[in-house]
Order: sequence, then structure tokens, then C-alpha cells
Amino acid sequence: MGIADARAMHPAIEIVEADPAADRRLLEGLADWCDRYTPLVAIDGEDGLYLDISGCSHLFGGEEKMLDDLLARLSEQGFRTRAGIASTAGTAWAAARFSGAAIIAPGEEAVFLAGLPLAALRLDGTVCAALESVGLRSVGAILEAPRAPLARRFGRMPVTRLDQALGRVEEAVSPRLPVAALSVERNLAEPINRMEDIEELVFMLAVTARGSLETRGEGARLLELALFRVDGVVSRVAVGTSRPMREPHLIRRLFHEKLSATEIDPGYGFDLVRLSVRESARFDARQGDLVATRTGDEEGLALFADRVGARLGRQTIRRPVLAESHVPERAMTTVAFADAPAVEHAAPSLDLGERQVPEAVERPIRLFGRPEPTEASAEGPEGPPFSFRWRRTLYRVARAEGPERIAPEWWRAPAEERTRDYYRVEDTRGRRFWLCREGLYDGSPVMPRWYVHGLFA
Amino acid sequence: MATSAAARGTLFALRRKIAKIEGTPADTLSPDEVGMASDGIVLREGGSPLRHPALTESLIATGDADFDAALGGGVPRAALTEIHGAEMRDAGVVTGFALGLCAAAMKAVPQSLPLLWIAPAENNREAGFPYAPGLLELFGISPGSLLTCETPKLADALWVAEEAARLSALGAVLLELRGNPQRVDLTATRRLHFRARDAGRPVFLLRQSARAEPTAAPLRLSISPAPAGMRRTVAGPLSGSIGPPAFMVEIGKSRTARSGSFELEWNSHERSFRKRGPEIPGSVVPVPVHRRHLAPASRPLLAGDTSFAAGAADRQPAREERTADRRPRRAG
Repeated sequence: MGIADARAMHPAIEIVEADPAADRRLLEGLADWCDRYTPLVAIDGEDGLYLDISGCSHLFGGEEKMLDDLLARLSEQGFRTRAGIASTAGTAWAAARFSGAAIIAPGEEAVFLAGLPLAALRLDGTVCAALESVGLRSVGAILEAPRAPLARRFGRMPVTRLDQALGRVEEAVSPRLPVAALSVERNLAEPINRMEDIEELVFMLAVTARGSLETRGEGARLLELALFRVDGVVSRVAVGTSRPMREPHLIRRLFHEKLSATEIDPGYGFDLVRLSVRESARFDARQGDLVATRTGDEEGLALFADRVGARLGRQTIRRPVLAESHVPERAMTTVAFADAPAVEHAAPSLDLGERQVPEAVERPIRLFGRPEPTEASAEGPEGPPFSFRWRRTLYRVARAEGPERIAPEWWRAPAEERTRDYYRVEDTRGRRFWLCREGLYDGSPVMPRWYVHGLFA
Repeated sequence: MATSAAARGTLFALRRKIAKIEGTPADTLSPDEVGMASDGIVLREGGSPLRHPALTESLIATGDADFDAALGGGVPRAALTEIHGAEMRDAGVVTGFALGLCAAAMKAVPQSLPLLWIAPAENNREAGFPYAPGLLELFGISPGSLLTCETPKLADALWVAEEAARLSALGAVLLELRGNPQRVDLTATRRLHFRARDAGRPVFLLRQSARAEPTAAPLRLSISPAPAGMRRTVAGPLSGSIGPPAFMVEIGKSRTARSGSFELEWNSHERSFRKRGPEIPGSVVPVPVHRRHLAPASRPLLAGDTSFAAGAADRQPAREERTADRRPRRAG
């Protein structure tokens, strides 16, 4: 029916354009919210959700109470929902769509399905129509029909769907989120909205989690806190740790930093808080030293890095790593402290010094992210500059050392990289710069260009 | 000695008053227990005078005797130290001096604890990123003992610095800022200073293109560039070469209240500063006359370096032999 026809019939009708993306977001939000019942939630098509509640229903006082609770809460939020519980995904699908709030006991699938139309088997419209054209109008009609002719005439689908619904064939429902190795949650009778209370709760949950982690001999590397708001919004915050951790007060401090840095709207409060260990690693308990405080120092540093990471991002604190390259910008990279293998600080730096740039090749202490173009004048085409203009200021070169010729790495892809001649120059005031001339005067159409690449002490 | 006793009474009353203001217990040390430097300077740390053993431990000797004396023994270890540069273009020199102090501070501690270098992102974009190969070679700060922290905002950098200043797991903290932001005031510097004092670790506040303003740091140094000396070779200073980095250091504020400016240069072998003296022409060791060829100096071969071009490192090139780039420039 077109809009004009609809308006003719109901002049007061309001036209809203379909927005599948927004519908999808809403469904995903609902799926998030359904995490409170089970960690295994999958999205089904455009309007359905599968919840795998195996082993979860007793937490809510049985399947019936769980179903009532789910429907009541969704209805409070303004959704009209239908739900069904069954031992197979197919039957549950049919129960939700064709009967409403039905709980099908194991073994009763065939009896339940027999009275339903063929659409209850999740069949395509064309297959449905084909079956109906030969008089098979209900599931009961094909339940008893011989399978081989059915499969030959209508394809494998009706048989497969039937088997899935009856539980003869396994059907995998893929959950949206990975299931955490360990999670601890607390249902609150009265919603909380103060961040202090949440942190206190994190501490209590972490105390519970510590016991399980100790039993496994593990420590958490990535922790996630899920906050379920009363009105259905779920906020998740995650903190990573640079070494396995299970101390509740440290976990609390990490979440303190994270929660103070992230904007979380508590709204009317949170009624369910869940702390899950997303990643864990082996936790080696170490014997403390009687006199030295070295281990304490290292742990202090790791905790500090984690706290900074929780507030500003895991990549904030970084450690430089030397790389085997003669190209200045490739000679050093940085890795996040959390990802870096624990470097023994006590180890002398001699071994690093050996495979370093050769002796007496001086390198700047600060290097620009990208070389800054500059206008330089040199007396000879291949000579050092005698003045250069950098950031709108003219510098006169008092002394220059060089050139140090650095050729591009030929074993990399032949890019437009050109040979660079580096000069170490000092201006008349005593500032020391690292200038380079990119390109050679070899008759190529592109003229050499000057850059300031770094600053010396 | 009634007058002397009265004077001492007044002195102690004043001290108690000062201690009360500073919020520390009044010291009851006799003057000979009090840390007195040779020239009668009383060193105080958190209101209470230092005892003799602490006197040496709690100061970072820079290496230059005159400069150390002017500072009252050295740069305080457990304190905030401000290092100022007048202009952003001096960033290399100012950073170099600050890193020199960091290296000197880290050298004195037996176990090598890492240095944390905190800077807002804009600073690194403006003045360049810390370059580990250069730091290793000049200051001996290995990549393993350097941590960098780049924060999106100034407030975050301050927060990280405050948290880091109380850690004893760090050898030194270097906070680099630009200009005179409102947020970095007396209170902020006091917070940093007190944390550094409690942790016993130095915190260096590196301020690029900043002007002096009230600070809680006991020491403020202003750094400006100075022409470097020449490279020292066996055959004497190598003319036209750029030797170890040099700095013009001015004491803006110190406990001894002795101002002065010093021209220092960094000695990368000793990891300490030394006075930048005049170049003494001539060789360090007598050059053998019967042998014309000396071992080449340990430096890269320089194109247009006449001493190499001529193949004779043992004689100074005549004026006309010098290449054009060495000639004094004409003005304009």
C-alpha cells in the first residue's frame, strides 16, 4: 500500500521512514541488555534474539520466572515482546512467534510443532508456497511424510529445518560476544549511581574473583566491567594490566582511574554490575626479597603504567626500541610499556651499545616526526649550507660537519626515497641542528631539497 | 656570653617560627650537627637542616666545581628543579642540559632505574620526539631505561607527573612543558616538589620558551645556547669541528641565592658537566716528527675537510688552503 492510499484511509497517520541501521542498533542494545540473563546472546535476523540459558535459569528461580522477569522488564521499557523457551533453537523460535510465552519441555517438540503452520519451521517463502501448493499446510503434515521424496522434490531445507527443530541435528547459535573465562556479578535490589559505590562494588567483586583466579593459578590481564542501567543501557569499561594481577585493591584503583576518565551516565542507576576477566595469564607468585625492594619497585612501576593506561590509553607510556636500520627515522620505534617484555633494569646497557650505530657517528637527541622543509643556501651544490630559513627565521651557519650520506634501503620497495646528505650545523648563537639535503645534483628533474630533521644538544 | 646566648635564643625562636610556617617539627640540632657547607651555608630539606652524610647523598654533583659551589653543593636530588629555555628554537640545547642532569642523577644511583619523560603531544611535535640512539650515545641513557609518556593535554601531563613523582621506582622524572600555562602555578609546582621530596627522586620541570614566574622549586636554571668547543684529537683541537655540546647556564633561583652564569659543556664519557674552557692550541701528546702519518681521528671523514684532503692531520691548514665554507662570512 502506498503512502497516498494509507493517508486516504487514515488521514492522521504519521509517516516515518524506515531506518534499518537504527533498528539494528536498538536490537544490539537489547542484546547487550540481555547479557544480564546469559553471556550467550545471539542476534536472529532483524527482530529476534536467541538466548542460550542452559545453566542460567536457576539463578532466576526457574525458567518460568526467568521468562516472566524478561517479559516484564522489557514491557516496562516499552517493548512488545514475545518469547518462548525450548530445548532447540528451532522450536524456541516457533514457540516465540506462534504461541507466545510458551515453555516446551524436552521431548514435546513434535507435539507442539505439529499444530503450527509451515512458516514455524523457518522456511523460505518459496519453499513454503511449494509445499502448500501440494496440500502440506502444517508442520504435522510433513512430520509423518516420507523424507526421501520430500527432500527430492523440495530440496534439503524442509528436512533440515525439521531435524533442527526436533533436535536430531545440532544447530550452533553463535553468540555476539566472547564468553569471559571468569565473571563475577552482583544483582542489586536498589540501583546505585554514585561512582564511589561502583568502585566499592568492584572491590567486592574482585575479592570474589581472586579466589577463582588463585585456584586456577592465573592473574587477570584484561578486565571488563559491565554496568547494566535500569533503563536497559549497558556500559562496558575495560582496563588492561601489564602483568597478571589479582589483588582486589589494585583492580579497584585501576577502575578508579578508568571511571574518572570515562563519561558514564548513571541515569537512574545501575541494577546489575558484572566484572569479567577477559584475558588471563599465568600468575607466578614470587618470593619477596628480605632486604631489597626491587620487586616492589617493578610492581609499582607496572601499576603506575596500568593506571596511566586506564586513564589515558594503553599506548600512553612507551618504551623506545632500537631497530637495525641506518635510516634515522627507522632506527628507533616505540612499543607500549604494557606490551614490552619485562626488561631487566639491572642489566647493563653494554650489549645494546655493541650493535649500535658505529662509534663517532653523532645522532640528534630529538628527531622531528617528519623532516621540516627549509630553505637553505649553500656555496657549492654539494657543499654544506651557510644559512637556512627554518620556521620563518634565518639562521647563519657558523660551523658545519658533514656530509654523512645516508642512502635509502634498497631492499625495501623502491619508493621515491632519495639519498640524503646530513650535515651537523651550529648557528652563530650556538644552536645545533641536523640538516639534510634530500636528493643529488645528478641531472634528475627533481631538485634536491633541504630539511631540518633533528636537534642536537 | 649573654649577648651570644640571647642571639642564639632569637635564632632558635626564628627557626621554630619558620618550622611552624613550613609545617615541620622544629629542629633541635646544634649548629655543628647541622649540615654546613664550607662557606657557612645551611642546607635545608623540608625545613630541617641536613646532617653531614645526607649533605652529599642528597645532592647531584654536576661535575663542575664552581657551578656546584654556587648551587651549594649540587642540584638537590629530592626536589623539583626548573630548567628554563627562553625560546622554542633553543629546545635542543635546553633538553640537552636537562638530560645531562638526568644522566648525572641516574649515574649516582647504583641500580639503573628508568627515566620517565613526560610531554604533551604538542611539545613533541614542536620540538621533536626523543631520539633514543642520540640519547644512548651522548647521555648513556639506554632505551631500556627510558620511558616516554605523550599525553593529549597539558592537564594529563601534570597528572602523570604528579603520580610519577611519588614513585621510587623511577630514577628521574622529566616533565616538559611549553610556555607559561595558567595551570602550572605555585600550587602545581609545590605539589610536584613535595612529592619529589617524599620519594627522594629528582623531578625536572623543563619549560620551553617560558619566562620566570614564582615557583616552589628550590632551584631554577635558565639555559641558553653556547657555541660548542672543538673536537679534541691527538693532534689538538680540530678547527671547524663541532665538539661536545655547550650550554650557557644562569642560576635564576637557588637556596644559596648566589646568582651567576656558567658556560658548561657535557662530557659524555664521564657523564658529567665541565667548564667550557678556552681552546688550547697544540696537541695533547707530542707529535712524533719522524712519522708523518698519524692515526686518523675517531670521527667521520668530513668532505671538504682540508686536513683529510691533504692527508696530513698533524699540521694546521694554511688560511688559503681552507675551503670556502670555513671562511668568515661577510655580513648580509
